[in-house]
Formats: sequence, structure tokens, C-alpha cells
Amino acid sequence: MSMLLTRRLARSLWRTKLRLSAVILMISVGVFAGISFGSYANSAASLYDNIYADNDEGINLPDAWVENPSGTWNGTTVDSLCQAIEEQWPDPSLPLDVCEPRLKLSGLMFHTDGDEEKLVDAMWHGIDEGEVDRVWIPDHECCSGTLAVADDEIVIDEHAASEMGIGLGDAVTLGAGHGTMNYTVVGIGYHSNHLYFAQEGVLLPAESGTFVTGYLSDGGLERLANLTAGSANLLLLDIEGTPEYDLQSTDDIEGEQLSEIIDAVSKIVMANDDAYSRVYDRSGVQSVEFLRADAEGAQKSYPIITGMIVIVASITIFLSLQRLIQSQAREIAILRTLGISSSSIMPGYVIAPIAIGLIGCVIGTVLGVTMGAPAMVKMYEEIIGIPAIGYHVEASLIIQNCGIAMVIALLSGIRPAWQASRMQPLEILRGKHEVRLSSRRIQRITSRLPTTVGLTIRSSIRKPIRLVFTFVAVGLSMLLFGSMMLMMGSMEDIMTGSLEDQKWDAMVNVPFGGEGNVIEWAEENNAEHETMLVFPGNAQGDSRMFLAYGLDRVSTENDAMIRLNLKEGSLPVASATTTQVLVDEGTMVFLDWEVGDTQTIMFGPAWLDVEITGVTQGEVVRTLYFHRADLTTVVGLEATTVLIQLPNGVELDDDIGGMSIGIVQKKDMEKSFDTLMKQQQQFFNAILGLGVIIAIAVLFNTLLMNLAERDSELATLRVLGAPIRRIGMMMLGEHFAIGLIGGVLACVFTVIATQYLISAMVQWAFYFSVQVDLMGAILLIGVIVTISVALAPFGMWRVGRMNLVEKVKDLSQ
Amino acid sequence: MSLLELEGVSRIYEMASEAIKALDGVDLCVDESERIILLGPSGSGKTTLLNCISALDSPTSGTYKFNDVEVPRNKAEQMTTFRRENIGYVFQFFNLLQDLTVLENILLIQELAGGRDVGKARHLLELVELSGEADRFPAEISGGQQQRVAIARSIAKSPKLLLGDELTGNLDSKTSAMVMDVLVKVCKAERITCIFVTHDESLMKYATRIVRLDSGKITSDEKVDH
Repeated sequence: MSMLLTRRLARSLWRTKLRLSAVILMISVGVFAGISFGSYANSAASLYDNIYADNDEGINLPDAWVENPSGTWNGTTVDSLCQAIEEQWPDPSLPLDVCEPRLKLSGLMFHTDGDEEKLVDAMWHGIDEGEVDRVWIPDHECCSGTLAVADDEIVIDEHAASEMGIGLGDAVTLGAGHGTMNYTVVGIGYHSNHLYFAQEGVLLPAESGTFVTGYLSDGGLERLANLTAGSANLLLLDIEGTPEYDLQSTDDIEGEQLSEIIDAVSKIVMANDDAYSRVYDRSGVQSVEFLRADAEGAQKSYPIITGMIVIVASITIFLSLQRLIQSQAREIAILRTLGISSSSIMPGYVIAPIAIGLIGCVIGTVLGVTMGAPAMVKMYEEIIGIPAIGYHVEASLIIQNCGIAMVIALLSGIRPAWQASRMQPLEILRGKHEVRLSSRRIQRITSRLPTTVGLTIRSSIRKPIRLVFTFVAVGLSMLLFGSMMLMMGSMEDIMTGSLEDQKWDAMVNVPFGGEGNVIEWAEENNAEHETMLVFPGNAQGDSRMFLAYGLDRVSTENDAMIRLNLKEGSLPVASATTTQVLVDEGTMVFLDWEVGDTQTIMFGPAWLDVEITGVTQGEVVRTLYFHRADLTTVVGLEATTVLIQLPNGVELDDDIGGMSIGIVQKKDMEKSFDTLMKQQQQFFNAILGLGVIIAIAVLFNTLLMNLAERDSELATLRVLGAPIRRIGMMMLGEHFAIGLIGGVLACVFTVIATQYLISAMVQWAFYFSVQVDLMGAILLIGVIVTISVALAPFGMWRVGRMNLVEKVKDLSQ
Repeated sequence: MSLLELEGVSRIYEMASEAIKALDGVDLCVDESERIILLGPSGSGKTTLLNCISALDSPTSGTYKFNDVEVPRNKAEQMTTFRRENIGYVFQFFNLLQDLTVLENILLIQELAGGRDVGKARHLLELVELSGEADRFPAEISGGQQQRVAIARSIAKSPKLLLGDELTGNLDSKTSAMVMDVLVKVCKAERITCIFVTHDESLMKYATRIVRLDSGKITSDEKVDH
């Protein structure tokens, strides 16, 4: 008997093919998105784990770095430091494996592009034993060649080599503040410090041809920088195994043991060398931390994205099944009258969502595995610029997504199934279940309106819970798109806003004491200039690093080389009794500081009490602004950079290239941002498409349900002579209202979700806040209203096609 | 003067295995102010004839003129316009819109016809003796009262012809009589021609003419003297 009942139900479902398709589409989209975003998140996480691994395939990422930011150690100092660290190693349970010295210097590449010679900002690594933090040359078409061994050999980073057309055997001309030298390219590969390919201290990926990194032998770089053999400014410490380290994104201390080792090593280094040095773990390496944050953000945001789609899908399934049961009320009542028990009726309504869920899962999985996941991973490869070697869609991801979708489908079907089994036959056969008394209050409110308008409003809110569900589903459908739009808008405001406000054209980094030559060059070329001192520091009791900027002019005026965006407070005064500073918004949030506070800042062994006079906005990385003279007093350096505003017709030349250790040009950064935005546009469009598909499915389902529910009402109106144009206007009005309210809700959800997403994403190394944009809100509402209104003609077409003879027959039964 | 004329009207339904002739060469001429009752067994073609007259359905062959003008066929919107301008329709199950009050049900039809007239709507409610129920919802009044509202609604746009299919089929005999009394009173007052389909022979006293059908053909057509 139950088989026949199930068959009857299947046929009934088949009669509502369109509505059924909308529900299946929703589930498919949910599973598709889950697999696509999940693959992206898993790939991002597993890729770095594989690259960083302490094995033959991995690069053996160090566990701690000792850095000398203010100069280089000579060979003797390096040996004694490594020996002291090995002898006084504080934790025998985590023994030290290797202490390897490295040399890492900023510089330039003199690159000829056609007829034009360009000065390309560069970072050169001199690699000693190469036991840790190896250059990664995977067995993949991206890379080739061998490591640099001889003094005139170099491995060029694949990001730059492919963009600049550099190949094996090419000769390249390099500089590091001490003239130029030629090297032969023997390999193309990657390095852990530059997997995310951006200039030091810059978050945007480098624009093609504006940044290059190279991996030389230690002797090769010492030759270029005119340093003695054995010189280094980094010590890489590799501990046996991979100890936990403290994550910047949490308040917990995950790597307590490693933190204690770092503190101890810091004291050992301070005791053995007078120079200021920093000791840090992986979280202090920009590229490593950025990619970890990206993978973590993807892991955190993908369940939110998938969950949101699943909620929309479950609302759609729930409403559709409820409507189905309503439309079958008479059939169910007849079955009950014939003596069929409620327990025989219920299984069919439980099986239906399972069957719908299964079909949706199969479609979603096929699309996700064959199209969604590869597209997401490809986009990721394009943005980051490293091949996703070993990428595959994990079976557990498919099982997880389909499992969630099936559970949701089942849960969505249980209440309607229970309702079906509890229906009272007598009440239904008398037609009482269909009569619903309209609200007197609504009647009074709408009584002065034209009756057609009043009817539209009253019939729309006849089932308020369903209407609310519809609004929520419509609102959620565009949440993804809205959040993306808001986040990108906020980032764009910060990135372009802060760049547009700057007067400098070139930021020329100089060797210590080398600013005089650059200033001379600027004056010879009638270029305005300003010196700047940039030095890393940290708050007392907090190991996270920020950059302290010492500016000649700390100003919010347009004519300042760096124009600050003061959000709160006032500008600092130079040479105050307690040094006054400005602090960026992110640092204030993370350290829970307030304007007027006095805080202690550490610059290696030196410390300084500072008074916070104001908060700046627009910095993505953590920043403190000093008057340069105040900062010079504590760090003992005059300048690290010269900011130059180039007059018309003046270009940077080889002379300035030879005297600098890196040049960042504003136009390159602007181009970088444009390129990033173009790359993101593809993703943006995909998310928009996804949102539009979900919104169409939800609104289409709503339209079909409304039509089915008002079938007799519409038939009566048509028989009584209501023109289709009039009915169409009623539908348009209703759909406009649904779209408008859904759109407003989408905006509200978007702001809430974006704030949540941003709070999940932002961390010490990457902070920005939501900037609510009116145009964005209008666009969001516009998209939803357009979809909603565009569906109304389909409803009119369906009403127009009504067989009135059949309808009159139905109305007479 | 003839309000409508049907000449040789046939309606054939093409089914999968056969063609069913629901109307077979019907000739019918209806004058203004007549009250006609269509009688006949199930499947005799009464409802099909009513559907063709109301332009809900189109005859397969034959001619149908209303006020000497050919009635549009097979063109949904033109047929709708014809109904809106000429026909009032009363359903067996009233089919009042549950979200609208009694008065608003009448006003809705006026709006659709292009002219909202609250005064006239209230007057019609007086005619059907329901002026005290104007602000109630259909679910709050009895079946007989609902049918009287449906009658008031059907004449709200001053149709030339009022049609009803088993309009008392859902009511007890006492209520049926009350509804029919009201209907006749209204039709006389508004000079509206009426055609009703019924199985109920007791309603014949309200007719001025009785037309009997069988197998899609008119078998008798007689005037009734009261």
C-alpha cells in the first residue's frame, strides 16, 4: 500500500516540475558552492603544509629567525652567535637541528624591456648551506634548473621570471647599493619568503615587472654587496620536528614552548652582540603569515558561505513541501477517510525530500568537481602565482557537503510530513482549512487604498511566516555578493584612498648613511624630497611587530609627502617630554589602546615611552608615526628612505639605482592594485552569478507557490473579466515590494555578515574595517528588485494561459 | 429585441481516442430581460452552452452574436474584455475573495471594469438585503448571504447578461428560495437578462423560459407564464 502511496506522491511532485526544479537547483547550488569553496580552502591549507614540510619534497621552513635589521654580522660574529645558541639552547625537549646564517639584501635589477631600461625593485638572498628554507624548484612545468652554487649564478623567482621573460642561461645585471654585477640564471623557482609575491611591507601582489627576487650563493651576494665572506643578517633556526607557534589571529598562546625558546634566544643574542636584533617565529615572516591567514580565512569563511546557501535551500525546500501538502490536502483527506493510517501517509513525505536531496547532491557534486573546484583553484593560482601541485577534491569534502545537504533536506521535510499525517479529513473536505480570516488591522490600514492594491497587500501577507521566510531567503541569497562588494569596496577605499593621498612618486631605500647621495640626486633634478626612517618595533609584552615611521612632516595637509588620514585625536608635537605618536586604527584595536594612553615601545633592547595623541585610518599593516627626529633618538639611525616627488620629465635613472637598495614607485603600486582588482573581478562575477542564481531560484519558487495558492482567486478574477494587464500590475507591485524588502534585508544581512567575515579575516598583519557604501546598497537592492520584477511576466504568462473552462469546473466542485 | 443569437453552435472536444460533441448545432435566441433556465441531465451540454455564451469557451462551429456583434473566439484577452463589458457570473461556491470584505468584493469588480462607485456598491448590498454586513469578511457570513454577495458582485458593473451555474446547488431549499427571490428582484430592477443552469426543478417558477438539453441538442424550449 505504501508503495502505491509513494508512487502517487511521486506523480504529484512531477506535476509541479518547475517548483521541484527550483528546489533541486537550490540544493545543487549549495553542494556545488560547498565543494568549490571547500576545495579552495583545503588546497590553500594543504599546499603550504606540503611546501613548508621538513622532508625531501618540502623546503624545511625554519621555526625561528634571528634578524639584524640595522646591518650585517661578520663571519666571526655569525659563528659565535650560532655557537652560543647551540650551547645555551634552552629546551632539550625541542632540540635545535640547524643554525644556518643567511644574507638577505634589498637591491635592484637593471632590466632591459625592449629598448627601455628599467630599475626593478629587488630582494636578493645569499644562501649558505641550504639545509633549511631551501629554494623550491618543484618537478612542474613552472620551474627548472638547479640551485646557484658558483659566485656568478642566480636562481630567479618564477613570479618575476615568467613576467619579465627571463629564462635559464640569461645574463642579468644586479645591484645592492654598491654598483652592479652580472650573473647567469641557472634556475627558476620559488622561496618561502616570496610565495606571496609582494614587496617588503606591501600587501598588494607586485605588479608584473616591478619586483624581482633572486637566490644566489652566499659568496655571490657577498660579492654583490661588497661584504666579507661569511657575512649574514639572518640566522635560521630549525628545531627537530615542527613545534606549534603562536598565531597572530587568536588570543590564545598556541606555541608557548616555542615562545619561551624565542625569548631565551633573544637574550642569548643580546648577550653576545651589541647590535639590535629581532627573533621571531613564522608569524613574523610576511609571506608565510599572509598565506597562512589567507588559508585560515578560506577555512573559516567557506562553512559560512556554504551554510548560508544551505539555509536558503532549506527554506525553499520547507516552503515547497508545505505548499505541496496543502495542494494535496483533499487527496490526503480522502485517503484518511478510506482508512489509511497517518503512519502510512508520512513515509512518502519523508522520502520525497530525501529523493530531492539526492538528485540535488548528485548534480551539485558533478558540477562542483568538474567545474567549480578547478575554477576556484585556477583563480587562486593566478592570484598567488604558484601552481596548486597535488590539488584534488577530497572525498571527505563531498561526503561532508552532501551529508549536510541531505540532513537539511530531511529536516526541512519532517514538519510538512508530520503536518500531512495529522490532517483532519472532515475539516479538509468541508474546505475549512483553506479559509483564513484576514486581519482586521490590515483591512483597516488598506481600506482606503484601491481594492486591487489592498487585495495584493492582504493576499501577500496572508501567510506572514512564509513571507518572512521568503524575505530572509531572498536577503541571504545576495549576502555573498553583497559581502564581496562591501569588502572589496572597503579595501579599495583604503588602498587607493591612501595612495591617492600621497605626494611622493618614488620611495628610494638607501643603505645606512646613504641618504645624502639620493638627496643630492634629487636636488640636482629639482625634485622635492623628504627623508623617512622606517624601523620595526613592538609593544612591551607583545611580540607582534609593527613598523615605526619617522616622518619629516607628520601632517594631514595636501602638500605633505605622506598625507595622514587622522580619524581621531590630534597630530603629535615633536620633541615633547614624552614622545608623541600617531597609531593606526588596527594597532589600537588589537592592543586595546586609547588616545591619551602612554605606552612603552621596544626597539630591540632599546625602549621608549610614547604618548598616543591620535589614531590614523587606512593602513592595512600595523603602523606608528613619529616625528623622525624623535625616532632617530631611540634607534640611532637618521634615515632608511628618501621620498621623492619627480618633476615633469624627470625619470629615475641608473645613477639613483646604483646608490639605492630598492625603489618603490607609486605608479607601480597603483598598477598592482588595478591588476588585483581585475583578477578579483572574475571571482566577483562568479559570486554575483551564484547570488543571482540563488535569488532567481528563491523568487521563482515564491512566484510559483503564490500562483498555485491563488489559483482559484486568479481564476475567479479572470472569469469575472479582470484583464491580464491589471493582474500583471498587481503581480508586478507585489514582486517589486518583495524585491525591495528582500533587498533592504540583503543590505542589513550583508553589513552584519561582512563585519563578521572581516572580524574572522583581520589580524595583526592585515586589518581593515567596513566602509558602508550607499551606492553599493542601491546596487544590491537594484539587482534583487530587477530579478523579482523580471519574473512577474512569467507569472502573467501562466495566468494568461489558464484554461478557464477547466478552472470553472474546478471552482464548481 | 434579441440580446444574443446562437446559430448552429457546436463544441467538439478532441480527446486522445475520440471526439466528444458537447454541443451539437444549437440554435438559441435570447431577448432582453428574459430569465432562462437550462435543464438537462449530466453531460447534456448545459455548462458547455453557458461557457460558450459567457465567452469562457469558443464554439468549434456556428455563429454567436451578442447585440448583433460577433463574439470573439479563441482570443483570451478579447474574450475577457467581452465578459468584463457584458457578462455577470455567479458561481455555485460563491468564490468570494476571502481577503476582501463584502463591500470590497463588489468594489473590486467595479475597479476592474474601470469605475469605482461606493454608493452604487452599497445600493446593491441594500438590494440583496445585506447592507449591515458590508464590512464583514466572507468567512464571517452564511452560505446564503455569501451567494447574495456574489449576486451583488456580478451585477456591480451593470452587465447585460447574468449567468449562473448551479448557483443554489450549495444551499438548502429555504435559502435557495431566498437567494432566487433576491436575484429576480435585482434582475428586474436592473433590467438584466439571466440564464441559469440547474438540476433543481423547483426553481422553474423563477424562469420566464425553460430550455431543455440532451446530448448537446436543445430538446425543448418553452415560455413560462406566471
